[in-house]
Amino acid sequence: MTAALEVLHASKSFPGVKALDDVSLTLQPGSIHALLGENGAGKSTLIKIVTGLHRPDAGEVRLNGQAVGFANPRQAVAAGIGAVHQERNLVTRFSIGENIMLERLGAHALSPIDYGQIHAEAAKWLALLDLYIDPRRPVSSLSVAQMQLVEIGKALALQTRVLLLDEPTASLTPNESQVLFGILRRLRDDGVAIVFVSHKLEEVFDLCDTVTVLRDGRNACSGVPLKDLDRQAVVKMMIGRDERIAKRAPRPRAETAPYLELKNVATSAGHRDISFSVRPGEIIGLYGLVGAGRSELAKAILGQIRRTGGEIRVAGKPAAIASPADALHKYGIGYVSEDRKQEGLILLHSVLGNAGITVWRRLSNALGFLRDRTIIDHTAPVLRQLEVKTPSVYQTIGNLSGGNQQKVSVAKWIAAGVKLLIIDEPTVGIDIKTKAYLHDLIHDLAEQGTAILLITSDMPEMVDVADHILVMSGFAIKGEVENDRNYERVSQAIMGFIHDNASTGAAA
Amino acid sequence: MVLIALAFAVFASALPGFTTPFSLFAIGRQIGIDTMIGLAMMAVIVTGGLDLSVGAIGVSAAMVFGWLCERLGLPLAVSIPGALLFGALLGAINGYTVVRSGVHSFIITLASMSIFFGVMIFLTKAEAFRGLPPEVAGLGRLKLGGKVSALLAVSLAACVALSVFYRFTTLGRRMLAAGANPRAAEISGVRTGRMIIACHALTGALAALAGLMVTARTGAAVPSMAGQLGQDWLLPAFLAPVLGGTLLSGGRVAVFGTLLGAAFVNVITSGLLQLRVGEFWIQACLGLILLAAVLADRGRHTILRRRGLV
Ligand SMILES: Nc1ncnc2c1ncn2[C@@H]1O[C@H](COP(=O)(O)OP(=O)(O)OP(=O)(O)O)[C@@H](O)[C@H]1O
Ligand SMILES: [Mg+2]
Repeated sequence: MTAALEVLHASKSFPGVKALDDVSLTLQPGSIHALLGENGAGKSTLIKIVTGLHRPDAGEVRLNGQAVGFANPRQAVAAGIGAVHQERNLVTRFSIGENIMLERLGAHALSPIDYGQIHAEAAKWLALLDLYIDPRRPVSSLSVAQMQLVEIGKALALQTRVLLLDEPTASLTPNESQVLFGILRRLRDDGVAIVFVSHKLEEVFDLCDTVTVLRDGRNACSGVPLKDLDRQAVVKMMIGRDERIAKRAPRPRAETAPYLELKNVATSAGHRDISFSVRPGEIIGLYGLVGAGRSELAKAILGQIRRTGGEIRVAGKPAAIASPADALHKYGIGYVSEDRKQEGLILLHSVLGNAGITVWRRLSNALGFLRDRTIIDHTAPVLRQLEVKTPSVYQTIGNLSGGNQQKVSVAKWIAAGVKLLIIDEPTVGIDIKTKAYLHDLIHDLAEQGTAILLITSDMPEMVDVADHILVMSGFAIKGEVENDRNYERVSQAIMGFIHDNASTGAAA
Repeated sequence: MVLIALAFAVFASALPGFTTPFSLFAIGRQIGIDTMIGLAMMAVIVTGGLDLSVGAIGVSAAMVFGWLCERLGLPLAVSIPGALLFGALLGAINGYTVVRSGVHSFIITLASMSIFFGVMIFLTKAEAFRGLPPEVAGLGRLKLGGKVSALLAVSLAACVALSVFYRFTTLGRRMLAAGANPRAAEISGVRTGRMIIACHALTGALAALAGLMVTARTGAAVPSMAGQLGQDWLLPAFLAPVLGGTLLSGGRVAVFGTLLGAAFVNVITSGLLQLRVGEFWIQACLGLILLAAVLADRGRHTILRRRGLV
């Protein structure tokens, strides 16, 4: 059987980095192939070489045995290779439908576009992914997870025989991922060849047949059947040593007065009757499915979404927070955004320019002067602890690998020294090793007295890090679960609250 | 840099009069003025916007300067800062309107250009201030080290100050952050609206300084010194920063690049002038250079987009 796609001895260098060094990958039709490796190992670069976004310095790409070299992604699509890249590539001003059908809009430059047909077709692909939203809506109105699904729908709509998925599930909850896996398995049975990149090993073992591991731009293995390997073996190939399994003991509930308190808060986004509090040193988790209104609640606390009822109190006093600047400078409240490209980072600026932005004001002298050295001294410890992989702190941050960008977007707030930190999906796209480091950092912050509100769709992360878990659904809080770190019990209790709501919702 | 040297070499060899001390002095002086005009525009391009009223602000500030020292008899130490503040105020008005209305700065400053200029002509009755203290014209003629125009030195100093400002002060850094990605900057605690106003105010102050430099060159504050509505400044205002490598979409500046851009344009213009090419052809030539510079900017933008940076 000829391989559907082969990459042979590919190398690629960027200024200061050798991203790929003699890497090979062989993809069989009718199989789902996992591509694994730490942040910055070269996974995305390899995929971009196949789709023609990057040109390899050496090596070749073969499609059905024929050597090919695409000059741009459009040619790759024409040859039958579809891809979901790690960074979102949607045109935010366009509608969902236009985005999904974008590749076909250009077929005849002057022929009129039949919008009815486009939107009907797009709705079909969205329905397949269990996403029931109007394809006429502009992409800019979607949440990060919804955008990710639209991007996947766009790749599926191309109906190619080779499908490359770079962290497609990074911002999805397990439920949505399962729907996607159902589709992928059907495609595989139809003989499509699929590459699947993920940092969630559970998914990989659940879904994939074979695996290629990259480490520092080299093959740690190439095309090994997954059933011959166990988790430890894979982790060892990825990070060069065994996984450290730290199970944290439950922490006693803090007795101090709450730092942040919400009382019967309602918002213009549709939240009703939200009440909870966060004490200094406490980690409160906020769990919910996509669209539950968690990030919107964070924005309401920051003053970006209007509060229509109830009260927000900070350190015991009623607080009027009009903007994130107010939140940070007057009340010591920070927010790590889940949307690192739009809201988290300034991609055009350097690692240093991003890491220090939250502390410029605090570090500058009376005249507003500030030297790079001061910022480096302040932020370097956190960047080092998270092992941010970059040639230098002056590197433009958009050139870092996705996971390394994510690390900086969290690091800039860990270094900020705030009193309350709202952390929204901190470990999206971060490898398992760094994830553990990041959890340590969050714990250290709490131990030092920072109040933490953790929003995550990653259930194991929630159970590992939070002290208490609030379950949110349909813009309201449905219940509270005491976290005793017993994964089975806690996750069932959480899902119980969510499904409770779903059944009453269906009845209503 | 290479281009300037090349253009300079070509004209120097082709024209015997090109390298005379006087010619060099005049070119240097004009480079100084154009650099300042370019820096003024650069300060607002940082936000991804622009300011068509730089000329109107420059002239208005120069007239305020004339009024302060001629009519009120105030010393230069008061009237110069006064004029700069006035320019900053006009710029801040632009910025405030842009932030408040949410309309693109192109439209707002197109309107304010006419308003500022119209009010200035009304108040001055289009009369110039010619009785300025002799130090003003003296500065325009001053040659440092017997060669270099003092006005060029002023612009050099401004370049140094601005470089320090954008690199080593929180205000400068916040301006760049707000320009590059307003949403991310806002979430990180930068008051984006205030930064946009501050950028426009800085533009106003720099435009005022450019107006004073032109006043020093002519020795008088003349309402028509930047042409009708101050439009004569627009070409150098965009040419210098864009040639220099400032991104039109905001978030990245090239301070010394602006100086080089202005130098390049002036070497070309005065070379062509001495070749006795008609004024019309020079304008057309500058227009072509601007077009090329904007295309280069688009190119830079496309490269950045391909790398996923914007
Ligand atoms: N355009 C670029 N310019 C410079 N360096 C780059 C560029 N793209 C990638 N790199 C570097 O190449 C290396 C590999 O990056 P790549 O994005 O392939 O990693 P990855 O395995 O996908 O990581 P992640 O899990 O974080 O997504 C990294 O060190 C990164 O900094
Ligand atoms: Mg990647």
